[in-house]
Amino acid sequence: MPHTDVRRVLRCAALTALILAGALLASLLLQEFMTTDAVVPALFVLAVFLVSLFTDGYAYGIAASLVSVLAVNYAFTAPYFTLSLTLPENVVAAFVMLVVTIATSTLTVQRRRQEQVRSEVARQTMRANLLRAISHDLRTPLTTIYGSCSAIIENYDKLPKAQQVKLLGEVRQEAEWLIRMVENLLSVTRIDGGRVHIVKTPTVLEELDDAALIKFRKRYPGQGVEVSIPDEFLAVPMDAVLIEQVLINLLENAVQHAAGMRHLWLRVTCQGQRAVFEVADDGCGLPRERLGDLFSGRMEGADGGKNMGIGLSVCATIVRAHGGDITAENRPQGGAVFRFWLALEEEPAKEARA
Amino acid sequence: MSNNKYKVLIVDDEANIRSFIAAILESNGYQVLTAETCTQGRLVAASHNPDLIVLDLGLPDMDGGALIRAVRAAGSAVPIVVLSARSDESEKVAALDMGANDYITKPFGTAELLARVRAALRAARSAAAAPGEVFHVRGLVINFDARTVTLDGADVRLTQNEFNIVALLAQHAGKVMTYSALIQGVWGAADAGSVKKLQVNMDNIRKKLGARPGENPYIYNELGVGYRMYSE
Repeated sequence: MPHTDVRRVLRCAALTALILAGALLASLLLQEFMTTDAVVPALFVLAVFLVSLFTDGYAYGIAASLVSVLAVNYAFTAPYFTLSLTLPENVVAAFVMLVVTIATSTLTVQRRRQEQVRSEVARQTMRANLLRAISHDLRTPLTTIYGSCSAIIENYDKLPKAQQVKLLGEVRQEAEWLIRMVENLLSVTRIDGGRVHIVKTPTVLEELDDAALIKFRKRYPGQGVEVSIPDEFLAVPMDAVLIEQVLINLLENAVQHAAGMRHLWLRVTCQGQRAVFEVADDGCGLPRERLGDLFSGRMEGADGGKNMGIGLSVCATIVRAHGGDITAENRPQGGAVFRFWLALEEEPAKEARA
Repeated sequence: MSNNKYKVLIVDDEANIRSFIAAILESNGYQVLTAETCTQGRLVAASHNPDLIVLDLGLPDMDGGALIRAVRAAGSAVPIVVLSARSDESEKVAALDMGANDYITKPFGTAELLARVRAALRAARSAAAAPGEVFHVRGLVINFDARTVTLDGADVRLTQNEFNIVALLAQHAGKVMTYSALIQGVWGAADAGSVKKLQVNMDNIRKKLGARPGENPYIYNELGVGYRMYSE
């Protein structure tokens, strides 16, 4: 973290110097063509404004305004190339510069704070949506489980055996679904809004795909998946259990929502410094109006089938906590493709910037 | 009723979990003992000498690990199968390195439980004997003395390290071998690059055994924990 701090300070200082140098250069150039007594102060006010806008806090802006006042005073106002701090217009100019600096810096700081509040609000909203979707989704299977078990216990002698087995089968199915839901929730609490640092260990791509596919096949034995991964040995830093969950969610999402699907693909490619994962299908594609908020955890209107919001928003939370990103689109050939990437190498010290 | 059934001790504080595990095991011909706490588990283990212990790690009085240590410290080699939550690989690794033989991730089904119990009992039986000269599971045959591996009758050419890994897994077939246990067994001391070395060797082994993602018929990879050779 101190490493990043030093970098930020250096960046801000460099930016300040650059902007001031620009103003100075422009002033010198313009001096060749016109009388600049009015233009130069304006240029430096602009410079001070820009410095305050693009650097952190007040310090750089104030430094810039002091330098500007001195520069304007020394080089660009009569008497030229002398410092005359007693002339009232110079004092006024200095004062104006300082006011511009402080006003701009205050606005900038305020704006940043507002952005922070806004992203915090967005996070809270996402959580609230997720919770609502979950409690809604938990009720349905629990109703089935409770109802079926009661039916069997209370009518043990009356219900034909085949029907009892059928009811119990449904109980098991719903319980399996609940288990998956709880796994998803656990994944989210493991991240908790990005505050907990993810522990990444180099994970062999083939082993990751293998583990995800074995679990997926257990749930959907009939569903084939066409897999392709790079030939060379590749280990990508990640929390393997969480990324495995992402892959399973995306595959499962296709099975549940891509009506008419005949092929399901899981592809991993290397693109520059990124491992890009793709889960594609040739089903019905994504409804256009859902493309914008697929990953937000928002609940679908009616309480029809199972909600795809939870699984996908869990995917997004996990991938983003890894510093990657996830997108979804419809394929031109039909069907949907979900794509996410992870950095091939651990980026040094990029964490902890609220 | 024969009285030479395997005795299995279940240590778990959740009555419902105890009762369904007991139901599964009893209906498959095992004799079941139960304990609710770590202390009780140690007492029952010492007095009844079970053939297998199924142990939940989150017990009310003590961590389940304490039971593993106590049993091993008493010199007992009884196989211990740990019940563990999905998301905690470090917990699984710790339990395995402490002397547990295997783990089952909660929630689990009947088939999985029975397979693990059978594998643990079989491993305990064969560990008592000298390491067999030949191991085979389906098409894979490993000859320990000749240091050869064949797959469906065809020779598989493995490097020395690759063979050592495969042999070590085969000697403990059915049981998860943690990364550190494999590294220890094959290279001795571990260093910073050990896990990578192991991963690269495993990658080659998989290729030579013709495995593809999702179709890995001989060596199962337990993400974040280790590898397991199938025993059936």
